[in-house]
Amino acid sequence: MMRAATYEDAMLRVHAYVDGELDPANALGVEASMTNDPALAAERERIEALRRLVRERLPQEASPFGLRARVEATIGMRGARVQPSWRALAASIAVTAILASGATSMLVAPLEVNAAREGIVDAHIRSLMARQPIDVASSDRHTVKPWFNGRIPQAPRVVDLGKEDFPLVGGRIDVIGASPVPTLVYGHGKHLISLTAVPAAGSADSAPASSETGGYNILRWIEDGIAYWAISDASATELDKFADLFRTTPPDQ
Amino acid sequence: MSIANRQDQNVLTGARDRSGGRLRVLFAQATGSDGQAAAGEDDHQRFARLVLPHLNDAYSLARWITANRADAEDVVQDASLRAFRAIANVADGNSRAWVLTIVRNTAYTWLRKNRPSTLVVVDDLEAVESAQGVTADLDHETPETALIAKADAALLEAAIAELPPAYRETLILRDVQGLGYREISQVTGVPIGTVMSRLARGRAQVMKTIGRKSS
Repeated sequence: MMRAATYEDAMLRVHAYVDGELDPANALGVEASMTNDPALAAERERIEALRRLVRERLPQEASPFGLRARVEATIGMRGARVQPSWRALAASIAVTAILASGATSMLVAPLEVNAAREGIVDAHIRSLMARQPIDVASSDRHTVKPWFNGRIPQAPRVVDLGKEDFPLVGGRIDVIGASPVPTLVYGHGKHLISLTAVPAAGSADSAPASSETGGYNILRWIEDGIAYWAISDASATELDKFADLFRTTPPDQ
Repeated sequence: MSIANRQDQNVLTGARDRSGGRLRVLFAQATGSDGQAAAGEDDHQRFARLVLPHLNDAYSLARWITANRADAEDVVQDASLRAFRAIANVADGNSRAWVLTIVRNTAYTWLRKNRPSTLVVVDDLEAVESAQGVTADLDHETPETALIAKADAALLEAAIAELPPAYRETLILRDVQGLGYREISQVTGVPIGTVMSRLARGRAQVMKTIGRKSS
């Protein structure tokens, strides 16, 4: 009885050890017990294999898009102040800006980096709070790119990264400073990545530089006169991988 | 002393209020006076900040508990309404654990009402847990590590789906949603010792199912 209870505890401690729930003293104790008892060492390997399996192979299912709208309707939030007025405003500013800038719209002045950062973080957060994080929902770059063509001076480069586990979710127009800029939205597991392309004519190309604001990871790089801003609550490593893939994948392959 | 102190466990699980009523008290106590809404923030804004970011996790947990997408959406909707009604009294602290607690309790209430036949009665499981030691589950016919590593997604999903609800929710909260033992204890309303034994048993059963079905 005593033996069984002790052995049971030893097993539970191995689980707690793998889960990182033990303080250093207890963790050392478990390590010693695993060295002495092959059964405990084997259990540790099995737990780790199972956890790896769950992490890597269990399908992660994001909530259906309509669910958010349904939830917001349930609590009387839809049509409230949180987002639609912003969406309408953004659209009207976009239209005005296009009309006002006319033929010179390709030469929108480069924006101040810090102001842009704030605007991009705001836009990303706002989009997560809105009914949908996107204005055009499509995983097909041949749908997303033309959608931008009709609305802003410069449609962004759109690449398909679905095979690499960064499926295209859609796109939207954000307003940074007073300029409408295209934002692509990619998914990754349960995270969304907003990729905003801000005109930066005349700026030299630069490699991705990372920063972090309010729990969001941000990467910024410049390529061919466009400053790309990727922002997400995905980990910095995942965002790095995304930026790498985006930069190295040709738009039309 | 045994980590999973059965005496303690039975007393506490027996006293648990399954309607979720006790949790409100628990969280209200935990929040204290810090739990007041930030100045200028109305309930909708607070809801958008504390609840909406966890909608994916909420849906995922509801889907694992109900085993059905449409049911999961209904549960999340009901749970959101409950969360909204309590939103003014909850602290900013761990909003994810709070949201998942509500979703979890709503899911069981919802199942009891709408799908009574699918729900294994939790009390029976607890009786079984007390009657036999964890080791009985743990060290028999556990497959080799290599076999576990080779399992495919469908087999893994099926093995988790056929776990008893109490084991399944514990395993999902830990291994899929990444909650710590203390948070799981908070969400499921059982002592940490029970969380540990349920997690170990749930994992052991999943391993055994994988071993059985892939050989």
